[in-house]
Parts: sequence; structure tokens; C-alpha cells
Amino acid sequence: MAKEIFMPKLSSTMQVGTLLQWFKDEGDSVEVGDPLFEIMTDKINIEVEAYEEGILLKKYYEEDDEVPINHVVGYIGKADEKVPDSPPGEAGGKEIPTETESDSETEVEDEDKEDVFDTTPAERSLESSQASADPAAKTEKPRATPAARRVAKEEAVSLAEIQGSGPNGRIHQGDVMAFAESHAAPKATPLAAKVAEAEGVDLKGIEGSGSQGKIYRSDVEGAKKPVTQSSPPAAASGKRVKMEGIRKVVAERMLKSKTSAPHVTLTSEIDMTEVVSMRKQLLGSIEKQTGLRLSYTEILVKAVAQSLKRHKNINVSLEGNEIVYQDSVNIGLAVAVENGLLVPVVKNADQKGLAAITEECKALGKAARESKLKPDAMSGGTFTISNLGMYAIDAFTPVINQPESAILGVGRINEKPVGVNGAIVLRPMMVLSLSFDHRVIDGAPAAAFLTELKNILEQPYELLT
Amino acid sequence: MRELTYLEAVREAMSQEMRQNEDVFILGEDIGVYGGAFGVTRGMIEEFGPERIRNTPISEAAISGTAVGAALTGMRPILELQFSDFITIAMDNMVNQAAKIRYMYGGKGKVPMVLRTPAGSGTGAAAQHSQSLEAWMTHIPGLKVVQPSTAYDAKGLLKAAIDDDNPVIFYEHKLCYKTKSDVPEESYSIPLGKADVKREGKDATIVATAIMVHRSLEAAAELEKEGISVEVIDPRTLVPLDTETIIESVKKTSRLVVVHEAVKRGGFGGEIASVIAESEAFDYLDAPIKRLGGKAVPIPYNPELEKAAIPGVDDIINAVKETVNRL
Repeated sequence: MAKEIFMPKLSSTMQVGTLLQWFKDEGDSVEVGDPLFEIMTDKINIEVEAYEEGILLKKYYEEDDEVPINHVVGYIGKADEKVPDSPPGEAGGKEIPTETESDSETEVEDEDKEDVFDTTPAERSLESSQASADPAAKTEKPRATPAARRVAKEEAVSLAEIQGSGPNGRIHQGDVMAFAESHAAPKATPLAAKVAEAEGVDLKGIEGSGSQGKIYRSDVEGAKKPVTQSSPPAAASGKRVKMEGIRKVVAERMLKSKTSAPHVTLTSEIDMTEVVSMRKQLLGSIEKQTGLRLSYTEILVKAVAQSLKRHKNINVSLEGNEIVYQDSVNIGLAVAVENGLLVPVVKNADQKGLAAITEECKALGKAARESKLKPDAMSGGTFTISNLGMYAIDAFTPVINQPESAILGVGRINEKPVGVNGAIVLRPMMVLSLSFDHRVIDGAPAAAFLTELKNILEQPYELLT
Repeated sequence: MRELTYLEAVREAMSQEMRQNEDVFILGEDIGVYGGAFGVTRGMIEEFGPERIRNTPISEAAISGTAVGAALTGMRPILELQFSDFITIAMDNMVNQAAKIRYMYGGKGKVPMVLRTPAGSGTGAAAQHSQSLEAWMTHIPGLKVVQPSTAYDAKGLLKAAIDDDNPVIFYEHKLCYKTKSDVPEESYSIPLGKADVKREGKDATIVATAIMVHRSLEAAAELEKEGISVEVIDPRTLVPLDTETIIESVKKTSRLVVVHEAVKRGGFGGEIASVIAESEAFDYLDAPIKRLGGKAVPIPYNPELEKAAIPGVDDIINAVKETVNRL
């Protein structure tokens, strides 16, 4: 019996997974633990491993297909096992419908035994095929007239995909022809097809100027024009990359955040003198403990966590009609990765020391860059820090990482002249930008939170309280 | 062109042949002054005399045996059986003598005879006088079997049957006797083994024989009103059978309904269906082949039951609709 491969449900909010790539082809042998395919959820991408060994019998989905959770993605089994041609859909532990003679015979015997002799075998098989529900019927040999079979062969279409209009779903010639017509690839010259492929133009949307609607190259180019005309001429020759994977998820999430949450951004300039000196003092001891160098990011995580503990009205999320005040303080860190952005989460950052936070942040960052983040490491965040301090950025307006309600943008530390006790002195200054969702957080509490954070950073002994 | 009844056409074919060919004569029960059971030979004894229009005793065995012997000596006898049901009594002579002699003697002897006989129900003649037994005769190599449905076909086919050097069973249908069609005055021959497309169509083919040709044409006219175009083919001769015409028609229409009055079980419709199933037309079939035939009962005397025992126009209409998925 072939075993199903499911789209795993990796988080409570996951509804579908996008198949990013297959690592195996149909017919490949598979060991337990072999990565089968990579998927992407609304939060992460991850490799799905095989739980069975055998042959990969069937792949129902292509790369970039979205598959609902718990739906059958494929089958692993023995080489000669039969599996459905079309995705069986959601798997509720259903067995693959297989039809064997012994099965159908026991079925008949289980039914009213007195009836058995009233019907001929042919009639019985007719009845049982009528009685069997659609999914089972699909695995049976399609009922089709000789003419339908001939035309299906000529048109190279599979009878299994065709809905018959005759009695008992019998497929007639007309059904095949209608199917073939509706699925026929548009007629195009080889050159037109090549040009269309190169330009990413769908032939189906093009009206051909040739006989019987045959598409010529000029038709393809004509169809392409309206798009290119509206964009700047330079774009026409630019490289085009399909939006997929993480990029697509980031795009969707950013758009949703920007369109659903009214963003307000507050900025405040922090004198980092004390943090700089604290970091210098702690560098050695933390390196001794962990072998890792303490960075400003970790100090910021700790400081933000401390501030959030004191300002619970910032550590909130909007769920439907309710504002949820989160019990724990879990700080997400935006990490730039190839082609996108990931946000691993430091859980309960308010309860952890700088050494522990340093260890965790470094591990998470590495995992993120290597695409090895587990879904768990990316969920549960209550507030996010986005640090662009390594660039020549002073301040920016970060976009909230929903369902969180606020995000802190971190700029570079830059020596600036500031007035201190009536004198102009150079101090390492840093701008923090707090974007918050004005639906749930008002300006005053946000300002109070940012002020608290400023105070902590300027007097980091506060972290000990 | 003038119209003749089927009955007159048969008579004219015989008369014209007898005027030209001294070897042709007719023998049968009461065919002389009485003119035969259905009046086919009426008036012929006056023209040709009792030597050539010979009344016989009531013995189909004697009639058929006489005919076989006369044919072997070079005559071209036409024998008439009052009802085709009685062919059972003539069968030994027809099956074991007439059908075999030319083969067994390597062509040195031949049996050029025609056995004419009215078949079918519809006259209230009950079970022993209403049968359609043509399938029996088609099973015998050496016999040709002709079943005309119109006056025109009857005259031309009878001429061809008389001219043939082999024994021919010539089935006339009682209900066809009074049907009329245009019939040329001069003698003409319709080759045996040539089917006739009685009506052209594209959605379904009906192959029908004898009286069922007329019913199928009626059904086709009704079906046309519903937009179903039916082709009606009359094979006219069952042996030899014009398979080519039927196969080509089925390739065109993709659907076949076979209709005959004879009992469906073991009837000639099974042969036609098999020919199609074995032929290249198989790949063009877009519906199961449908056979219509008589019910497996002796033909009842009660007129309503008699009608119900064989296919009617409505049965044909329904069968065609079923094959075109329009029921």
C-alpha cells in the first residue's frame, strides 16, 4: 500500500504551503529522512522529509503550486503500485481506492444474498460501478465508446480526465472532442511560440491573425506592447525575475501590514555613550562565556524587552476585535537573507541575560541566513527590531510585522556634536524609529515607551532592575 | 413512370421472364385459376397455360423436390410456397439437395431455382402462418436469400434471382404486397448483394429489412422533426450481404440500429451487428449497437398482441434516441 505524503501544517495559522522545489523525481527511491521537497509557509520555508522508504510514485504538484495543509502531495510506495492520477485532495487516512476482484466479490456477497442470482454478472458490475462514489470510479477504466477512444487517441487526451455525457458516465466522441477543444493549446507558429516563451507572454490570451486563429510572431509582439508601453522604456530590456518564494511572502505581508494598520513613526535620538562603554566592559566576559562577541543588537533586544515589560500596552496584538496583551516578551529580529527577509524570535527576552541573548541571536541569525530556521523559531513574536545600523542610515519608517503592533527601527551610531551641560561635545548618537499601529496604540503611550527605552539605553544600569 | 403494387411487380417480373425464357415455369399450391394464396399468379395460367403454371398437391416436400430435379435438368423453376412457415417441410430438399449439389459435383450440375414465399405477420394468420424464418436460410452456404421491401426492388431482384444459377430463397412480405412504388415497364435486374440507402442521414444508421424498412422510414421522418438525421439502409439481400454499404454508413453516423421483424434471438440482426463489431467501423461506434426484433413468442392471433410482438415505429424512434443520447 502506497503511503501518502502530506502538506504539513507547520503553524497554527498555516492554511496552505507553497511548493518551492522538489528534491526527488517520480521513480526515485527514497530513504526515511531524505528531503523530498521544500515548502514555504506564511512564515518560513522548510524542507519536508520522507517518513517512509520506497519509490516516489507520484508528484501531484509543481513548483510554485499552493497546496492546502494535509492535502496529499504525492505517494511513496513500491514501484508497481497504482496511485490515483489526480490529487486525492485532503487525506483523512483514506486508503487508496484499489479495485481487486476479491474486493468486488466480497462486496456483492455482503449485499443481499438473495439478489445475487437475479442479476447477471454484467448487470452486477454495472450496479456496483454505479453505486461506487466518484473518487473510486475515477480509478476504474473509463467507460467510453470505441469512437471516443479513437478520437482520444488521435487528440492525445486522457479519457480519465473527461466527463462522459452518456449513461453511467459513458464518454462519447463528442465529449472527447469538446474536451480536446477546450484544452487545445493555441495554434501558433514555432517562432511565435518561442518568442512568447522568451517574453513570458501567454499564447492563450493572444488572438492570432493567421488562418483558424494561428498566432504569428507579430501577434505575440503586438500583444506584448500595451504592457511595455505603459512602463518606462528601460524596463522593457531589464531582467525579469518571477516573484516567488520568500519574496512573494514578504510582498504580501508588507502590503497587508501597510494597508491594514495605520502606521505612525516616532523617532528619538539616543546618546549611546553608556551603552558603548558597557559593551566594552562586557565584551570579554561574554566572549569567555559564549565564545561570541556581544553586539549592540543584543543590548537593544535586552533594553527593548525591559521597556516592554514596563509598557504592556505596546506588547500587544490585534486579533479580530480584541486587543491581546501578550504575557511574554518575545523579540523578533529582522534578518536580511538572500531574496528577502526573515524574522527569527528571541523568546522571553525579558527573562534572559545578555550572554544568553547573545548566544541565541547569533544562532538564529546564522540559521536564518542558511535557511535552516525551524517554524517554531519564527513564531510567537510580540515586537520586532529592525537594525540598519551597519549602513549609513540614521532613521527610517519600519513596517510593522503583523500581528504585532509595533516595530523598532535602529539607525547607525554616529558621533555628533550635542549640547551637554552648556558645552558642545561629541557623543555617539543613534536614532530609534518606532512605528506603531495606531488602531491599538496611541501616540502618548508609544512616546512614553520610546522615552523609557531612551532612558534605559542612556543609563543601562536600568537593565539590572 | 407508372406505379405498381409490390404484388403486381412480382407478377410482372415472372411474366416478363416467362415470355422470354421457355425454361422458366412456376409450380405451387393453387397458383392456377385461384391465383395463389395472395393472388400473385392471378391471370398467369390464362397467359402461360397449365404446363407452365403448375398446380401441385399439398406437399412442400414434393414441390421443392420437383423444382430441384427440374433445375438439375436445365429448367429454371419458380416455386411458390403459400406461407413461408411451410418452408420447414421443403427444407430437406433446399438444404441438403439444392444448396449442395453444385458444390458436390464440382459445378457440373447446378440448381437454378427460385423459392418464392410470403413471410411475416400482420394479417391475423396466427402463429403457424406469420413467421419470419429467413435467418435459418441465411445459415446455409449455397442458398441465396433475398428480402425485398418495395415493388421496384421486388421486380428487379426477382429477375436477378431467376437469372442466378444458384437456388434463391425469395421472401415476400405479406404487408408489402399492397405497397406501391414506381416500377419501370421494361424488364430490369437489381444485382443480388447490393444494399439500398433508402434515406440518407448523419446521426444514426438503421439497417432494416422488409416491412421494417417502411417503419424505419416513418420513424426517420418523425426523428427529423426533432433534429435527428437518420440514414435507413435496406440490405435487400441477406445472402450475399452488402457489408460495405453498411460499414461506410456506420463510419459516417457512428451509431447503428438494426431492425427486423423476425425474432430478435438468433435473428439476422445479430449477424449485421457482428459484421460491424468486427469491421473498421468499430472504431467509429459512439454508442452500443441496438437490435430490434420480434419478441421470443409465437405470433399471437389477437391483433393487438400480434402488433405488440414485433417492432413498431415508436420502438424504432426510441431505439434511435437511445443511441444518440437524446432519450
